[in-house]
Amino acid sequence: MARIEFRNIAKRFGDVEVIPGMDLDIADGEFVALLGPSGCGKSTSLLILAGIYLPSGGDLLFDGHVVNDVEAKDRNVGIVFQSYALYPHMTVRDNIMFPLRFKKTPRDEAIRRVNDAAALVQVGELLDRKPSELSGGQQQRVALARALVKQPQLLLLDEPLSNLDATLRLSMRTEIKSLQDELGVTTILVTHDQIEATTMADRIICMRAGRIEQIGTPDDLYDRPSSLFVAGFIGSPPINLVHGAAANNTVDVAGVPFPADGANGSITVGLRPEHLVFAEAGLPGRIAQIEPMGREVLYVVSTDIGYVRVLEQGSVAGHAAGEKVQIGFDPAKSLVFDATTEKLIDGAHVRPPA
Amino acid sequence: MSAAGTTDRTEAVNWDKLAARSRTVRRAKATGIYAFLIAVSVPIVLPYFWLVTIAFSAKTGVAETHVLWRSVIVLVPTMIGFWAAAMLARSRRQRWLGMALVAVAGLVAFLLLVGPSLHLENFIFLVEPDFASVLRSKVGTVSGAVQFPNVWHAFGNSILLAGTQTVIVVTVASLAAYYLSRFDFPGRGSMLRSLLVLHAFPVLTLIVPLFLLLYYIGLLDSLFGVILVLVAFELPFAIFIMKGFFDAVPWDIEMSALTDGASRRQAFLKVVLPQATNGILAISVFTFIRGWEEYIFVFTFLIRNTNWTMSLYMFYVREDVMGVDYGVVSAVGVFYLVPSLLLYMAAQRYLLQMSVGGVKG
Repeated sequence: MARIEFRNIAKRFGDVEVIPGMDLDIADGEFVALLGPSGCGKSTSLLILAGIYLPSGGDLLFDGHVVNDVEAKDRNVGIVFQSYALYPHMTVRDNIMFPLRFKKTPRDEAIRRVNDAAALVQVGELLDRKPSELSGGQQQRVALARALVKQPQLLLLDEPLSNLDATLRLSMRTEIKSLQDELGVTTILVTHDQIEATTMADRIICMRAGRIEQIGTPDDLYDRPSSLFVAGFIGSPPINLVHGAAANNTVDVAGVPFPADGANGSITVGLRPEHLVFAEAGLPGRIAQIEPMGREVLYVVSTDIGYVRVLEQGSVAGHAAGEKVQIGFDPAKSLVFDATTEKLIDGAHVRPPA
Repeated sequence: MSAAGTTDRTEAVNWDKLAARSRTVRRAKATGIYAFLIAVSVPIVLPYFWLVTIAFSAKTGVAETHVLWRSVIVLVPTMIGFWAAAMLARSRRQRWLGMALVAVAGLVAFLLLVGPSLHLENFIFLVEPDFASVLRSKVGTVSGAVQFPNVWHAFGNSILLAGTQTVIVVTVASLAAYYLSRFDFPGRGSMLRSLLVLHAFPVLTLIVPLFLLLYYIGLLDSLFGVILVLVAFELPFAIFIMKGFFDAVPWDIEMSALTDGASRRQAFLKVVLPQATNGILAISVFTFIRGWEEYIFVFTFLIRNTNWTMSLYMFYVREDVMGVDYGVVSAVGVFYLVPSLLLYMAAQRYLLQMSVGGVKG
């Protein structure tokens, strides 16, 4: 198990700067998610950790020791790729045993550890099969067993659930999480799926274009997103964002005045669909579309400030399309961002129009 | 009610008619295609067929072609018989039965018409190194120009040449192709392009400079010199093929091996190379056969008869005894043909894969 530190880690490919300089601390035994859209440098960071890529600048520390020049094979890092990357010409047993071949593990112990690892991820009865004879979920488990059999000090998961179907993804999510709890191995999950990140990780590192946008617990990122980008990335269905001009404790959004506290100048207001309710008074609108989502119903409401998404609990739609409604919300849950810096303005809130 | 019934009946009749018509069309098309293929294949198959027939039937000093025509009388009706059996059969069982009948009939006819003329005397060269003198003494001529080595010596030389060349080409091509596939280095693009350009040179254009080169480095009249030249000509194509196979191996697998504790070399040998086995088999077979059939370079660069390969042996047999005994020439041809034929048949599966670009099964 290891404590990981990034000290101003940079990575360039030719003229392309993928990571301009990244600082990061990951505690021993922590489960961290690197979250961000495609091409934000999260997979690159993972490969730097694994030792596949050398950082172009900065230092990488494992337990306080600089490991920049330590080769991948000596880092004792387990990695699970999106494609699982099982060795097609080997049986499941040989796949899982592969890392042990390079550690000069005695034969008896190697076999015992392979069996243990296989049992841990419930592939014990598949040991004599070839990867091509396994389902996606089984391949995933084998890849996990192969990563865990060497008792890595660091486990890296590169979008491990993306190739699974929805049901399997849900159960693997739980399994990986409990496995990590049990083994206590420092784990870094790379994903572009915010649900995966929020459900599995202790801490989320939200990245954008090679920079860390925000680090925090899932709740931090959801309740207090530090920037517009994080607010837009976390949450499903996505947050409602409207632009306005604030002056004299009033925000003018497309001609509709919202009473406001602590905001000035050009701002962006963020309102999460689940924080909006249909009320006696508030923003007037007309329901344009209804999307039942199982135990919630999503209403798309046409208002003077544009389409607004409102999420209501309950499996049955309580309103009909075309119905005239008023939208209200708790001011404390409204988010106000500076439109130019895109940063959250602390303590600023808007209230629904009277 | 009655109106609806009428409609139903008309439609039912139409369906049957359509199905019957489509069956007829399909049958007619298949018949036509197979007839065409057989017509085209006869002139392609015939020379090989005659080669074998002559090798086993011609007699020293006798030029007679009756046996060839008799064999054609057997061959062509047999092929037409196979075709007819396949076309007329109504089920798979009938087809196999028909084909078996035709095969048996063809075999019996062959034994009756050609069988009495068959003998093994033309393969005298396998046991008698100085077979040329023996043949000439039979027809009364005694002067001969060529001193033949033992055919097994030439056979061994051919194996040595093709085998060594194959080992070198496979080793170098695998390493070079892996590097070209995985590493980005200055000049990679132009290197790939020049690989193809190198292959565009007709080999004959380089015969004179290569002769001089081998002469100056002292490898003229040595098998190793020819091997080096052949390797140089075969490598570009082999590298190109192997690069395709390595390109198809995902990066993830390699990265996985590296994090699993393998060095770059171990990852290549234990994880990447096994994925390219089919490519290695394919280029091995092609390179071996290329070396086996090599004629121009061995003819130009090898002089002593102890260095002869099978192709040179064949060439001099043709030069020396063609007028005396074309049966022996054909027999040498059959002997020369068999190894590469066997190799092709054994490796067909892998060669087919190469043509579809290294798709994994």
